[in-house]
Order: sequence, then structure tokens, then C-alpha cells
Amino acid sequence: MLELAANLLLSNQNSDGGWGAVAGRRSNTEATALALLALRSAAADTTITDKAKDWLVKRQLADGSWPLNDSAKGPSWSTALAILALSGLAEERDRVVKAGSWVLEQAGGKPGLLARLIGFLRGQKKVVRLNQDLIGWPWTTDNFSWIEPTSYCLMALKKVQQQLPAEKVKERIAQAELMIYDRMCDDGGWNYGNSEVYGEKLWPYPDTTALALIATQDRRERQENQRSLRLLNDLALKADSGLALSWASICFTLYGKDDAALKKSLGQRFTKTQFLGENKALALAILAVGDGARYFQV
Amino acid sequence: MNRREFLTASAAVSLSPLLNACDTAPRWQRDAFVRPKISKVAILAAADYGKSLRDIIQRGIKQCDLTVHNARVLLKPNLVEFDPNGVINTHPAVIEAAVDAFKTLGAREVIVAEGPGHRRDNEYLLSASGLYDVIKEHRIRYVDLNNDDVRLTKLKSGFTGLKQLYLPETLYNADLLVSMPKLKTHHWAGVTLSLKNMFGIIPGSVYGWPKNALHWAGINGSIVDINSSLPLPRFAIVDGIVGMDGNGPLQGQAKKAGVLVFGADMVAVDATAARLMKIEPRKVKYLETAGEFLGNLEYQQIEQIGEPVERYQQDFRVIEAFADLKTIIG
Repeated sequence: MLELAANLLLSNQNSDGGWGAVAGRRSNTEATALALLALRSAAADTTITDKAKDWLVKRQLADGSWPLNDSAKGPSWSTALAILALSGLAEERDRVVKAGSWVLEQAGGKPGLLARLIGFLRGQKKVVRLNQDLIGWPWTTDNFSWIEPTSYCLMALKKVQQQLPAEKVKERIAQAELMIYDRMCDDGGWNYGNSEVYGEKLWPYPDTTALALIATQDRRERQENQRSLRLLNDLALKADSGLALSWASICFTLYGKDDAALKKSLGQRFTKTQFLGENKALALAILAVGDGARYFQV
Repeated sequence: MNRREFLTASAAVSLSPLLNACDTAPRWQRDAFVRPKISKVAILAAADYGKSLRDIIQRGIKQCDLTVHNARVLLKPNLVEFDPNGVINTHPAVIEAAVDAFKTLGAREVIVAEGPGHRRDNEYLLSASGLYDVIKEHRIRYVDLNNDDVRLTKLKSGFTGLKQLYLPETLYNADLLVSMPKLKTHHWAGVTLSLKNMFGIIPGSVYGWPKNALHWAGINGSIVDINSSLPLPRFAIVDGIVGMDGNGPLQGQAKKAGVLVFGADMVAVDATAARLMKIEPRKVKYLETAGEFLGNLEYQQIEQIGEPVERYQQDFRVIEAFADLKTIIG
């Protein structure tokens, strides 16, 4: 499977060196960052990985962030993935630190005073069960914090924290971890970041559960991590998708757990759907089946 | 008046001068919208998700005078999440029948496209919902709108302050967008029908999962601003064979209504669908606003064809916050 997936990923590379969501789509930072990691882990030809790296390097904005792609050119959440893709490369150290500084300055927002007042007057405090004062990272500037961007930013910050102001990094990491634990579903695991609406429990997803666990891998002794880890295998096998199985497998590797069943399903799934040709899923599968989990070690 | 009502009223009074002062700009481009004098809406009986669906859908399209010859048709179902015990999504049999119907009526290409609002995992959602098998069997192109190429689009109305939104390129390459929602109540918006279904075209890669930037900008205003600014003609087919009431759009209960609703005026379609749910459309905030310029909301301005609303009306329960929607004005 590894070779077939790598060949498919290679054939999907755009002429500009990057990858889009699927073949034929414009290159974007997320797919390109993950593809670069995947091809590095698969020891692909350096002319290919150099082109991918160049695509990323050329897109870094003056403030240190990365845009989503060449259409949506403003700073974006995918900056954290670019940091992960470049953080092991000595020649890109300054670039990565600058990006880390940008991540450090970004923060999820809170509902405004007027919205809170109206919410209070309408009794909306009970609509969702989460602590709005705990701040992680948003998908879009100044918006609310959610699990996936917070997890990526935590991984990125933990990678580069030695080069950033220690107190501030420590504070952001601590609060983001609290936010993640606050958003956990009742029986463990995470969805996009909301465990309850109108008293009804929401259910966890395998991909976001794996991401939250990867981001908090250095807190593995916590009961929230252990409880969620026990769920993850079943969640991923039930979802049976390239994305879910790959993230879960990477997570299990980092936690030292047996991921044989996940890898077996991943191979079967690739044969059946080729992950719908999604470059992100192809890249993650290559990382999962090979030794790519190390890129997410913090 | 209890304490909460008093406080709400006091806040409204104290804030109203401020809000009114901010409300002087025109809310939509006056010359960009012309409401039809009369909008045709068809309600056709469909007892189940069986084989007769293709013929019913073909009939609904024809009765609404829609021609699709040589058109590239984009079907946008409601595929937001999956619960094996729930009825969250547009049934794949309806989507399959619509693919067949549009092809039979001469469409050049039929594409299925969606940008699920909660899940990033397309492969899972498509497989679990049964849509993957439909796409594979009919060799249909599926576009993940969350990760499509995007184009910055100026909004033609201003109910959010967003001014512009990134929209998927696929919209710009199609001739007709068919909104295919499920007949559902919604715990933030009251009801979710063909207009609310357009939240799914907003790319998650830009706005995130859930598409919270839109909720922060105001869910009602966002629905109107998105629908006022789409770059192509639209049509609606509402899956009301089995809908959802209560705490929709995800955790409500299945509610059988036994109909499909068709029409080119999505405001009129949604108003009719709301009436089928015994919900007053003029009390659904975004419908009321949309009825001012996007389409026809009033019963008298809708030419009702097919089955009468009264024959298939069902009492769809709503959560307490939307109890007022059940007060029919007349």
C-alpha cells in the first residue's frame, strides 16, 4: 500500500510543486505540508521534496504566517502545519521561529459583551456546555477556539517553544490544554469541540480525538487521555476512512500502542476507495504506515 | 412580565437608538433583485424511498417549468453528520433519483457537491450515509466544497457586516444549483430548508468546522447574505418523505411527512415547507427577511400545485426557544 499511495501522491503533485485537496485543484498549504512530510518519510527523490519545500517557503507571509492557498492569501490556521513540515530542517529554523511567534500571538475570541448579555437574558448559558473563557486557537482570526486548529497550534508551539518567550508559551500551552480537556465528550474523545447542545450529548470523532491526543501526548498520564485513547481504536475502525485510520495510527504509535488492526484496515480501505483521491489522506496514510509519526512527536 | 422579560425589554429599549443609528445603510442592492409576482411551488406525494422517486422528481421539475437541457447541474444535498439511528441527511435515494431525473431531462452533467459543516472526513460521511455507493454506481463527480478552490465574492446584501465571502469555484462552473435539504427543525435557526442548506457551500477550509464564523456574524443574516450572493440560478427539492422535528438538525426525531417539495423560488419553497411543518414562515427570522427581497413568502403569492398543504401537514415540534414559530398568523 505504501508504494501505491506514494505513487498516487506523487502523480497528484501540481507543476508549481505543491498539492491541492485532490488532483487538479490549486495547491494549498495544508496538503502541501503533509505531502512534504509524507514524502520525506518515504525517502522520496529530493528534487520532488525540494519543489514542495520551495512552494511552502515562497508562500510565507511577511508576518511569519502562511495563507491557505494562492486565492485566500491572508494568514491562516494552516501556518501550524507549515511549521510541522519545516521544523526538522536546520536551514529553515528562522522561518519556523518567525511562524511560531505568529502562532503565539493568535488567540481564539470570546463572544462579545452584547452577545453575552443577550445570551444571558435569553437564558442561553445552558445551550452549550463549555467554558468560553478558555482560549485556544480559531480557524479564522479572532473567532472561537476549536479542537483541530488548537491541536495543530499546540503541536507547532511545543516543537518550537525553546526559541520563543518561555513564560508566554507556557501560559498559552497550559490554557489551550485546559480548553481541550474542557471540550472533551462525556465518555472521552472529541468532536469539532462541543460536547453538548441543549442537554443532548454530542459524540466524538476519531480524527479530532487523535489530534487532541497527539497535541497532549506529553500529558499521557492524565485520565482524560487514557479514557480517550481507549475509545480511539473503535472510533477509527468504525469510521473506516483514510483520514480516521491514519490519524489514529499515528496517535497509537506516539503512545506506544499496538496499531496493527488500524494499519490493516487502512490498507483495505486504500484498495477500496483510494481515500477518494484526497491528498491529505494519502499523505497521512503514508506517514502512518511508514515512520512518519515521529514528525508529530512533541 | 417576569424578570427575564423585563430585562430583555429594558435592554432592547436602551440599545435600540444605537442599533437604529447603525441601520441607515441599504441592506441589499435594490436593482439586483426582482421578486416574481407569483412563485410556483409543487408538493408531490412520495410515500417512501422506493423506485418511484425518479418519476416523481421528473414530474416535480416539469411542473415547475424548469428546463435543464445541456445544463451542468450541481446537486447540493444536506450531508452534515451521520448518526446510524437518526435521519440527519438527505436520503441517498432522493439524490440518486434526482441524478437520474436531471440526466433524463437532458442535463449535460450532474455533479453532487457538499461541504459538511461538522465533519472533515468526507470518505466516512459519504460511505456511512450511503452516498458513496450512489456516486460510484452512477459515476457521478463529487466535489468536496470545503476544500474546493475558492473565489472571493462580494455580497449583494448586508445583514452580517461580512461584505464578502469566499465561495467554491465549482459554483461558478455550473449552470444550476439544486438545493436538496431535509425537512427539519433547527435549534439555532428554527427550520433548516433550502436556504439554510446553503451554509454547506461555504468552504470549511476558509471558515472552519463548524462554520462558526457565520454563526458569529449572525446565523439569520448569514443565511440571507449567502443566498443573495450566489452566482447562479437555483432550484429546490426538499426531502420531506421523512423529516426531523424537535432538537434538529442532528438530534431530533424522525417525522414522516411523505412529500417532496419543488420550486425555483427558494423562499416560497421554504415557506411552503414550513407550513407543511405547521410552522409560521413569517416568524422564522431569516425567512421573513428573505421574503422582503429574495422571494415570495406570502401564501397569496405562491401558486400551489400538486398536493394541498393541508393534506400533508404534520405537527413538527420545536425546541422551547422557538415555541413562537408554532403560532400561525393566518
